[in-house]
Amino acid sequence: MALSFSQTSFTRPNHVLGSTGSVFSTPRSLRFCGLRREAFGFSPSNQLALRSDRIRIPSRKSFQVFASASSNGNGAPPKSFDYDLIIIGAGVGGHGAALHAVEKGLKTAIIEGDVVGGTCVNRGCVPSKALLAVSGRMRELQNEHHMKSFGLQVSAAGYDRQGVADHANNLATKIRNNLTNSMKALGVDILTGFGSVLGPQKVKYGKDNIITAKDIIIATGSVPFVPKGIEVDGKTVITSDHALKLESVPDWIAIVGSGYIGLEFSDVYTALGSEVTFIEALDQLMPGFDPEISKLAQRVLINPRKIDYHTGVFASKITPAKDGKPVLIELIDAKTKEPKDTLEVDAALIATGRAPFTNGLGLENVNVVTQRGFIPVDERMRVIDGNGTLVPNLYCIGDANGKLMLAHAASAQGISVVEQVSGRDHVLNHLSIPAACFTHPEISMVGLTEPQAKEKGEKEGFKVSVVKTSFKANTKALAENEGEGIAKMIYRPDNGEILGVHIFGLHAADLIHEASNAIALGTRIQDIKLAVHAHPTLSEVLDELFKAAKVESHATTRTVSEKVVV
Amino acid sequence: MAVSSSSFLSTASLTNSKSNISFASSVSPSLRSVVFRSTTPATSHRRSMTVRSKIREIFMPALSSTMTEGKIVSWIKTEGEKLAKGESVVVVESDKADMDVETFYDGYLAAIVVGEGETAPVGAAIGLLAETEAEIEEAKSKAASKSSSSVAEAVVPSPPPVTSSPASAIAQPAPVTAVSDGPRKTVATPYAKKLAKQHKVDIESVAGTGPFGRITASDVETAAGIAPSKSSIAPPPPPPPPVTAKATTTNLPPLLPDSSIVPFTAMQSAVSKNMIESLSVPTFRVGYPVNTDALDALYEKVKPKGVTMTALLAKAAGMALAQHPVVNASCKDGKSFSYNSSINIAVAVAINGGLITPVLQDADKLDLYLLSQKWKELVGKARSKQLQPHEYNSGTFTLSNLGMFGVDRFDAILPPGQGAIMAVGASKPTVVADKDGFFSVKNTMLVNVTADHRIVYGADLAAFLQTFAKIIENPDSLTL
Repeated sequence: MALSFSQTSFTRPNHVLGSTGSVFSTPRSLRFCGLRREAFGFSPSNQLALRSDRIRIPSRKSFQVFASASSNGNGAPPKSFDYDLIIIGAGVGGHGAALHAVEKGLKTAIIEGDVVGGTCVNRGCVPSKALLAVSGRMRELQNEHHMKSFGLQVSAAGYDRQGVADHANNLATKIRNNLTNSMKALGVDILTGFGSVLGPQKVKYGKDNIITAKDIIIATGSVPFVPKGIEVDGKTVITSDHALKLESVPDWIAIVGSGYIGLEFSDVYTALGSEVTFIEALDQLMPGFDPEISKLAQRVLINPRKIDYHTGVFASKITPAKDGKPVLIELIDAKTKEPKDTLEVDAALIATGRAPFTNGLGLENVNVVTQRGFIPVDERMRVIDGNGTLVPNLYCIGDANGKLMLAHAASAQGISVVEQVSGRDHVLNHLSIPAACFTHPEISMVGLTEPQAKEKGEKEGFKVSVVKTSFKANTKALAENEGEGIAKMIYRPDNGEILGVHIFGLHAADLIHEASNAIALGTRIQDIKLAVHAHPTLSEVLDELFKAAKVESHATTRTVSEKVVV
Repeated sequence: MAVSSSSFLSTASLTNSKSNISFASSVSPSLRSVVFRSTTPATSHRRSMTVRSKIREIFMPALSSTMTEGKIVSWIKTEGEKLAKGESVVVVESDKADMDVETFYDGYLAAIVVGEGETAPVGAAIGLLAETEAEIEEAKSKAASKSSSSVAEAVVPSPPPVTSSPASAIAQPAPVTAVSDGPRKTVATPYAKKLAKQHKVDIESVAGTGPFGRITASDVETAAGIAPSKSSIAPPPPPPPPVTAKATTTNLPPLLPDSSIVPFTAMQSAVSKNMIESLSVPTFRVGYPVNTDALDALYEKVKPKGVTMTALLAKAAGMALAQHPVVNASCKDGKSFSYNSSINIAVAVAINGGLITPVLQDADKLDLYLLSQKWKELVGKARSKQLQPHEYNSGTFTLSNLGMFGVDRFDAILPPGQGAIMAVGASKPTVVADKDGFFSVKNTMLVNVTADHRIVYGADLAAFLQTFAKIIENPDSLTL
């Protein structure tokens, strides 16, 4: 599963990051997923005051949730339940939880008010991967030099916009059907309508269907975040929701936000012939990535392409194209708020991150106060109410809790909750969850960035080492004429623990899992370096890293019991 | 002839690799030629003429052939710190890699002119190096005056503090050619801006033809005189020099004993490269005698107002070109040619043993006085090595005048990328016979134009020369 759209920097200027970041004792957050950091480890309501004015959830009429007026049985949990588990929201998180719940023998229902699959499948990772598959090929075919170096001759590559759009749409439909069928086949009840919490263990969906369950999981996800002053018309000023339909390919598009969403769309648009202007609130592009990776990525993904950028600025006002005028973007200095510049472009894509979709969920019925829209949870995804106490039998996973706004993280959280409610305690290690950005070439990462690791090392008193390797040294990458890229690993030389791995290069998104699995399972470098990689493969890039790392000799090695087949 | 400052060809192909390179800096004028020829040929043409004491400027080096500006990643040394020859002083980020830049001289880092994270064009001073501790203060005040002098054009009586981003002051010289365009700001697409930088085209001088009057990539390509291309990830490499180069090296007789070998300076290599490149263009020449009596009379009249002969000739050529656009066209790829949207007259100037071609932009449109003013400015900048790339690279037609040396006629080499070059000889009293057979003595000047025969044909050139001669012989239109 690909990433869900994560947050970029727009909503979080530096000073806020600094202040909230220091609240948490453990630096668990990776920097790339903006909103997550503040939501991490949830601490008292000061953040609410800090940020409440910054988030505005676009109200969508079709999404109206009918808040419960009839709270008759409120407060008295029923004795026998309709279901063991009800999941509100059938996105990737809800789906993952439902499948696992059935496996655990729970009677499960899933409520969906829109379409099965949620953001990821319908308006996020899935259709964007279809567009990126096209852009990758276009880029390759257009690169005469690249083709020539293979000895290939290709006459002018072109594309049919509708055909590309159809591919994305067809893929979404296919995956949506797969998801629906997989749940149906397992006997998960799919209930249609908007769900809300009526009280403990009681849920309403649709007009006035009330059902009860032993445990409830909220998995309502998120919607694109649109900052104040920006008027989205869906034609010339758009969010990722619109962009994925690819109804037009503008000559010149401004992308507000240079995080994952912005970067991936810049890859798509430039491959299809658009010119792109990035607008980034922080002082540098790609603020969420490891600095070294983002620097190199900028040299490869931004500088040689038809892209320019403005950093350290907010788009304070964006007016859609009308009356024969182009899209107007007013830029103000991110720090001083002084007007800086005005841009005239053909279209603007708002990629400033995502806001949780939690309005009208009936949270007031269980005394839960959202924080900038996010539902506060503990490390086991148990919802925390306004008094800081746990709400029994209520869980929240995925973008709605803001811990890590990635599709596969939501799914992992859902599985973790199911493990708990079926009697096995489980805490998900978020540091082992990989993330990827599907540009060409791709970027992927797991664990800490180098600065984060160094900070942690200083605080906790251990040494941090870094080892790097280039794709230029990899046979398979060179065979593909794709030697551009690096991989770096941040680790503890004293015990061989992997703290983070960052890859920028061909198929980086597929390569990261060896590292993320190692982190999840606690495998140490001195053990994994003995594992064998097929030659010649890209996975040897990681092999290089493991072998090049210098772990102090006293570090213990887990004896691998080799079973010899005779 | 375009002179690029690509003296340090990129040695770093690995991204993120760090390599060491050295920068050259200026020394006191009396020493400079010797020093530069022997130890620091690379950036000698960048030296500043104003330095009197042993305070050297640290220049932004050209770390790759495509680099036009560099960003200071970090200063390894701080102000006041002692430097030893060969030590790394600053880390510069180019379009390709980060590199440590080391010093050629012992001394003290007296002042940092361009701070960390700021950008400066190649050749701009980024710091000052003092030879002795005593000179640090002097260097500092120099740095201060440096930043204030660039603001002085705005007539600010009290110089602002040095910290007020001197980099931007250096990077953006006041636009002199700002033809009153009203308050309308330039809108250029990202790719157009990139191309402009790459081809050293002043984006402000490009006319936008895109939607809402914006400047698009093809506008810049037209302005740069190249055929708009679809696939344009990287410009094609220049054609390899003809085989003759190889032949000469192998057949070269051995050097006479005691001969000295002088490595090319950056300017000399650039000239050499351009000359070799010019051999791939089929050229021909057409000469024309022009009566200059009227022009000379006009010159006497306008001279007190600061008008120079160069301006007069450039203006006349510009006006003639406006009527014969094909002579102002350029053929870059041998498959197509482009009509240039503006007439930019490059004028060859000999400077300190080198050769550079400052460009009078829009020579047909600007009036004589503005042109003369502009010219003075360009020559001043050329002398002090302050010319911006677009000020010597954007020519569409070249004028070369050796008349002041008494040369009566000569033959110019067509610079690559232009359609024609005009070689102007001295105006000399000549006996001429008129159509009735009467003899008289008239001042006559021989002009000889070399043109690219792929695009300009004999009749084109003849017609252009006829127009040119008419303008010179009836020069009143020049002052309009």
